[in-house]
Amino acid sequence: MLTSFIHKFSAPKSYVEMTAKLLPYIASCGLLLLLTGWVWGLAFAPEDAVQGNSYRIIFLHVPASIFAQAIYLFMSICAVMSVVWRVKLAAYLIKSAASVGALITFIALFSGSIWGIPTWGTWWQWDARITSTLILFIMYLGVITLHGSFSNLEKADRLMSILVIVGLVNIPIIKKSVDWWSTLHQPASITVSGAPTIDPSMLYPLFVSILGMGLVLISLGILSSRLHILGREKNKKWVQSYE
Amino acid sequence: MISVMASELFKLRKKIRAWLGPLLIMILVLIAFPLSIDISQYDLNKFYFSIIVISLLVISFLATETMFVEDFEDGTLEQIYLQERDFYKLALAKVLIYVLLIGVPMSLIGSLFSFANGVDASQLPQIFITLIFSTLLLFNLFAFGAALSINKGAMLGVLATLPLALPVIILLGRAIRAVQFGNGFYEIMALMIGAGLLVAALVPLVISITLRTHLE
Repeated sequence: MLTSFIHKFSAPKSYVEMTAKLLPYIASCGLLLLLTGWVWGLAFAPEDAVQGNSYRIIFLHVPASIFAQAIYLFMSICAVMSVVWRVKLAAYLIKSAASVGALITFIALFSGSIWGIPTWGTWWQWDARITSTLILFIMYLGVITLHGSFSNLEKADRLMSILVIVGLVNIPIIKKSVDWWSTLHQPASITVSGAPTIDPSMLYPLFVSILGMGLVLISLGILSSRLHILGREKNKKWVQSYE
Repeated sequence: MISVMASELFKLRKKIRAWLGPLLIMILVLIAFPLSIDISQYDLNKFYFSIIVISLLVISFLATETMFVEDFEDGTLEQIYLQERDFYKLALAKVLIYVLLIGVPMSLIGSLFSFANGVDASQLPQIFITLIFSTLLLFNLFAFGAALSINKGAMLGVLATLPLALPVIILLGRAIRAVQFGNGFYEIMALMIGAGLLVAALVPLVISITLRTHLE
């Protein structure tokens, strides 16, 4: 049943039809959660004892940083599917996710810089985490540029997928950079294995913001991939008859 | 494999500009750097390494840019593809010959220039080994980049893989600091050798898939 679902869903036509129904719900839930998380975090969460109000940027910075890496991980899974099983939809999704990934990585870097001024006294430091995130941003741009430079789009899909798989090596480096190198950046406050080191009154709005941002980014990804698919398959009958 | 390496060595040796050019640029950069600053005010042996590291990155970048272009244009790659022969050996041989003919002299030049700028002679073997493994890593990564956009001007692919080279630069920087301060060198070297061998074994496989994609 799962295999037939995957086969059905991986056809561009089914994907476009299915996401048309899901998109309004995902986007509205995402926006609602994101706004709730931000209002809760900015207006109702208590002030930090050390950083004062400047810490409140975490409600933007932390979700952005998490998804900067998560999107690349998603692209890598799609790249494996594209290279190994030649799933056409997977390549379309990589191309669409790369733009969203570049945008959110830029937001993570920019919000981090703003946070750096009151906490570190500088907006930029050649610190392990910041530098590796900048590398990730350049990787996203590299993927987009590489794809854009080929007129044979099938070949471009395949080469882009290979680059994404090789670039995956950067993700553990970014993740562990704060543990491996001496760095200004604080270690992660929320980990999968341990208890969070952040107070629940700040943690809950943060979770809501992460969830909201995740859904908003999924919506952006769906929107961008639908446009990409309709462009790529414009000569197919189902696109011409699609309303 | 030996015959592939011999033929690659012959081909690269004939293309004097391809191997001598990068070495001359490296020498030029290393000479120009101390001339461009007031050496009475700066202790060169403290930060001369950074210019060696950067020149290593840039020269590896330049040296590998045209690695597959000629073979692509003269139909060698297509012939290999049509004969259903493996690209792995070709990619491995090419990278190893480039390391041998460009990487080793680059590392030697880097070590000698660091000696000329006040680094202790006893540290030279450590610096040389560090630079050799860095070039092995960098040449593999940039060779992948060159293969990626072979018919679009390899510079694009090399630029796309540039971010992958930055962790190598961070590692190289740490290795050099370990040489300077005399602790932790062997740990970093073990990591570098491990990464170098892994990359040298795996990247030719990725290059062969990439080349095949271009010819399909």
